[in-house]
Amino acid sequence: MKSGKKKPSGRAMGAAVAGVDIGSIFTKVVIIDAESYDIISFSIMRSGASHENASRSATKDALRAAGMSLEDLAYVVSTGYGRSRVPFADRQITEITCHARAAKFLFPDAHTIIDIGGQDSKVIRIDAAGRVTNFVMNDRCAAGTGRFLEVMAEALEVDLGKMTELSLRATKNIEVSSVCAVFAESEVISLIASGHEKADIAAAIFRAIARRITGMVGQLGVQERVVMTGGVAKNEGVVRALEERLNVKITVPEEPQIAGALGAALLAAESLK
Amino acid sequence: MIRGLEPFLKAVENPYKTVSEWKERTGKKVIGCYPMWLPKELVHAAGLLPVVVWRSDEPVTIGHAYVHTFNCGLTRSFVDDAVRGKLDFIDGFIIYRTCLQAQELPFILEQHVRPAYLEYLYLPAIFPGAATKDFLIEELERFKASLEEFTGKEITDGELRRSIELYNENRRMLRRFYEFRRKNLGVLRAREVMAVVWSSMLVPKEEHNTWLRELLLELEERQEELLKEPRVKGDLKVVLTGALCQTPQFEILDMIEDLGMVVVDDDLYVGSKYFANDVELDGNKRPLEALAEHYLKREPTCPTKGDWEMDWTDEIAGMVKRGGADGVISLLIKFCPPHLCYYPDIKRGLMEAGVPEVMIEVEHEIVSLEGVRTRLQSFAESLRRGA
Repeated sequence: MKSGKKKPSGRAMGAAVAGVDIGSIFTKVVIIDAESYDIISFSIMRSGASHENASRSATKDALRAAGMSLEDLAYVVSTGYGRSRVPFADRQITEITCHARAAKFLFPDAHTIIDIGGQDSKVIRIDAAGRVTNFVMNDRCAAGTGRFLEVMAEALEVDLGKMTELSLRATKNIEVSSVCAVFAESEVISLIASGHEKADIAAAIFRAIARRITGMVGQLGVQERVVMTGGVAKNEGVVRALEERLNVKITVPEEPQIAGALGAALLAAESLK
Repeated sequence: MIRGLEPFLKAVENPYKTVSEWKERTGKKVIGCYPMWLPKELVHAAGLLPVVVWRSDEPVTIGHAYVHTFNCGLTRSFVDDAVRGKLDFIDGFIIYRTCLQAQELPFILEQHVRPAYLEYLYLPAIFPGAATKDFLIEELERFKASLEEFTGKEITDGELRRSIELYNENRRMLRRFYEFRRKNLGVLRAREVMAVVWSSMLVPKEEHNTWLRELLLELEERQEELLKEPRVKGDLKVVLTGALCQTPQFEILDMIEDLGMVVVDDDLYVGSKYFANDVELDGNKRPLEALAEHYLKREPTCPTKGDWEMDWTDEIAGMVKRGGADGVISLLIKFCPPHLCYYPDIKRGLMEAGVPEVMIEVEHEIVSLEGVRTRLQSFAESLRRGA
């Protein structure tokens, strides 16, 4: 669990609104000021088996950090995989619309958004006005998602957060060819068995994800600025592998994991107007 | 509640039961025809009961021992049904070269199902010139002789003419039904519209025509009342396209409507493609020639019998314009090469024409309807924000 409080700017406080993003692995809540759009607080916790419970606990955490109660929220937008399971939401909006909204807000010149979450990966194109003009979503398969990375980190017995550091020590260029999370795991195990260095394998895993995402990006075409959101964007190794593969600079927001919830909160603020 | 819809909805609830029941009732032999463009009028004129084969609602099991897992849902499900004996009440099958996957089917049926009647037709895929028509007429003559040999009875021109007229009447009424849908948005649910067309592929045309007459009468009589209380409420209008050879899951159609999108028109096979135009009979022409000419028509466009000149995009864009639609939903059957082959052109063409479009991949075994919902809902949200 993680929650935090952002420093409010000096502007006048308006009503508080929240975005609740129930992802397949993590639930994220962002509370913002509906006037200034400043982030008041946010929280991140595991979604677990009950989306309803996760939405309540994560919202409670964010409210506690903001020193507020549920009644103080003027509008709540839910998004993500479990968006229909949030009992206190006023409206539910898909994560595609929400990530697009957040990327546009954070980087007004954003045109391509790559969102890699726990189970889904999406590439979204937006126009100059921030409208979603096209998008692609991964198939049901977990390849190239956060879950894939978790499984790979387990197979390598490294902490997910340390995988980038490990990959930087890679000396040999080896390949993880499989695009399937289950088969890739066996491939990694076989690479370990044949004596390859963990660092080389970690780097190969990042490149495999980048290849997968490149195929999706290719369906829409790249238009700069490219913004990456979702939990996997916290993994620098993946971002670098993608930049190399796409041959383009990728911008990552300070807290990419809460981008969906932030977009939902922004749309909640707009709903008040 | 529209009473006239009931027989159609009941007929598609369980196609196996529907078809075997009327086989029992009429004592006629049932012939399963592979979609999409077989001249079923000839089968009817032979005194047989032609039905269009369908996709079951069960996952494929032993069928995968005979057919690749990367074939479309219809071929996999049809083979699975056939080798498991679920289609034993069907006396024969007619296949033609709809696509590469369909071309494997006669071999599987011959080896592992051994139906009483099995025919493979070569309906041309490209139409290079006048010789194509001569070739096609010859192929239809051969087909006619094969049916006659099976039934032991000659098919006269008079009988074929009567069958064609019966089929034309069915097409005309289905077109009237679609006109009603276009002019009275929200009165009919998409799943009901599809059930009306699908059942035409399953029950005898004589019976289907009776049902259609009653339905049209009821709809036209109650038009004002029905329009006052539309059953599908939505702020967006969409055109459905694709779904070659088979019906998508009705749940997907419901989902589209639940998300506030009203279907104004479609170019689906189990939709407007099925009855787009009549077989044109005139006094002097041999009915067999009329059937050949009907097949050779390039409209409605179909990627299984097209040429590179055809413009599917224009047809869809025209439909969007006529119906004042906000966008297009492409229902792409997973592993359908003919549709996939044209899809990039359609996508590009619609983007250039400023028509928003989303592609929904339809699988036989739907693993995640929620993923489909996210795509459809995002599309609806983008249409609303784009206004």
